[in-house]
Amino acid sequence: MSGFAPVFREAGLLKRDRAFIGWVVLTLLLSVVSVVGGIAEVSKQRETIARLIEGDREDRLEARAKQGDWGGAAYYSFHLTYDPPSNFAFAALGTRDQEPWKHRIRMLALEGQIYERDAGNPVLALTGRFDFAFFAAFVLPLVLIAVLHDLQASERGAGRHELLIATSGISSSPWRLRAWLKAGAVFIAAALPLLVGCIVSGTSMTRSLMAPAILCGYLAFWSFVSYRIARRERNPSVILATLLGVWVMVGVVGPAAGKLVIDHQVPVPQGADILMTQREAVNDAWDLPKEVTMDAFVARHPEWSQYAAVDRPFEWKWYYAFQQVGDQKAEPLSLAYRESRLHRDRLAGWFAWLTPPALLQRSLQRIADTDLRAHMEYEANVRLFHGQLREFYYGKLFPDAPFDTDALGGLPEFDPGMAAP
Amino acid sequence: MLSNRLRLQAEELRVIRGGKEVLKGITFAVAIGEVYGLLGGNGAGKSTTLLTFLGFLDLAGGNARVNDALVSEDVVAARRSIAYLPESASLYEHLNARENLRYFLGLAGSAGDDESMEAALDRVALPAEARDRRLADYSKGMRQKVAIALAILRNTDTLLLDEPTSGLDPTAIDEFHDLVRTLADDGKTVLMVTHDVYGACQVADRIGLLRDGRLVGEFSAPAGGRIDTEAVHRAFSSREAV
Repeated sequence: MSGFAPVFREAGLLKRDRAFIGWVVLTLLLSVVSVVGGIAEVSKQRETIARLIEGDREDRLEARAKQGDWGGAAYYSFHLTYDPPSNFAFAALGTRDQEPWKHRIRMLALEGQIYERDAGNPVLALTGRFDFAFFAAFVLPLVLIAVLHDLQASERGAGRHELLIATSGISSSPWRLRAWLKAGAVFIAAALPLLVGCIVSGTSMTRSLMAPAILCGYLAFWSFVSYRIARRERNPSVILATLLGVWVMVGVVGPAAGKLVIDHQVPVPQGADILMTQREAVNDAWDLPKEVTMDAFVARHPEWSQYAAVDRPFEWKWYYAFQQVGDQKAEPLSLAYRESRLHRDRLAGWFAWLTPPALLQRSLQRIADTDLRAHMEYEANVRLFHGQLREFYYGKLFPDAPFDTDALGGLPEFDPGMAAP
Repeated sequence: MLSNRLRLQAEELRVIRGGKEVLKGITFAVAIGEVYGLLGGNGAGKSTTLLTFLGFLDLAGGNARVNDALVSEDVVAARRSIAYLPESASLYEHLNARENLRYFLGLAGSAGDDESMEAALDRVALPAEARDRRLADYSKGMRQKVAIALAILRNTDTLLLDEPTSGLDPTAIDEFHDLVRTLADDGKTVLMVTHDVYGACQVADRIGLLRDGRLVGEFSAPAGGRIDTEAVHRAFSSREAV
């Protein structure tokens, strides 16, 4: 007999098992839904970005046309910044559901602008999006539990258990092979739509292979757990309840407990505090002696110290100086906020090794550039671009350069990859 | 060489299941070409005895030997030399007779050819028109026939049969007894567990009477004759040791 004969034998048995085929078909359908939904969302985000890029340019030209000085041009010109989705983002939308991936920023204080976001749907935020990462992390284990929990118990119930072992001679046969075939079929049903999605989305070969490899490891973990527990001589409902208990602990209670502990250990300043600090600094500046503002500004930008004198009641350079000083006041809080979030994220990354569903989601989000690190890189891009805007306008405002619309052509352009390592 | 041409040997077998001593030191042996009937009421330890030869149970004492080798030392070899027919053998209901035979033969490591499968099904008198139907549509007796056909096709030295005639009609029982006798005449060793006194006397060369985990008596058929049903029945019904 050929070495593959047992595989063909068990595969032949499984393909006649309607309940199992039903689970495989359901897996395939859910995978298709998650992939198609992800691709649709990514397309929508790309279309939004394309539409905004076009509108942004027109809007800025229109705003500039009405202005006669640098300060006005800076005040009324909005600049689009955006974080385009990667070619694998369809599989793991990650932080793109919670964090802003597009802004329209101005020369005003940045801290008041960078945390602005579109109002999200609170129901969607509660349930999460049914993307492939969610499907794979939380639904696939349930499918595996459904098809593996009664691997031996169903045979015991049918009175076949001893016959099968006595006939094969080996206690582990045919359970192990059957378990791997079942898990393999579930893996193929889940991975196939993902691979098609990768091809459709133009995902790189590396990413296209990494994701199924990670998924394979994840399903191997759940298959092993299900197989070990299913071997126990208990009735199927007890085995099922045990496996569901493991799923709840590993997939729900574990991550929630980890988050509680991490949140407690690593306090993060409130975003509202950053906003309030910056706003109060800006508002107070109107009533402060102008030298106080300009001294604080020059301390950061000594290159403009020779132009720091403010003679008139209102000057744009003073106005933008106190916007910057507002950012400077909020800077310690803002830095602490960013560092704490990254610290929490690092701890969550370590903790995820204890909670495989979270580990899978994080891994897919890393591949898709939709994790917190990718979002922080986008924020860094926005900060860098805002800094370039300031540099451009300060060079016009402080020396009191004559207004020249042609010179506006030298304004920095936002590049999504500008701060990428 | 096998000792005294013995295929199965139970030596002071003791088995404890769920804290209860189910077998309390039973000893018997079955020779090549012999049909041995283990007779007893419910809970006497009949099926447990069969399972010890298949290595499914840990022994609290004694030994079980198949072909002179200790089952505990090479359970795979023991199982491979035995065709086991469990009580109410449940084959796969979503497969037909041929598919079931093919699956289980494959599991045993042998590829059953169509010709030998048809011959085995003929031998157990499974109607030809039923062979392509799913077992879900079979009567209990028909399913039993497929399981017996499997035992024949395994072509092992030894058959362990657990209540093999349960659910069969009288004609099928007679046919089955004839079949068992033919197999024994071909040199197969048959250990058959039953509570059917009449059936056991019809087919067995020897009968062991189990009661409460103890072998309380043995009956042998006289040369060319059958075991005395009346004597066995009296012993079976009595609470006394034989």
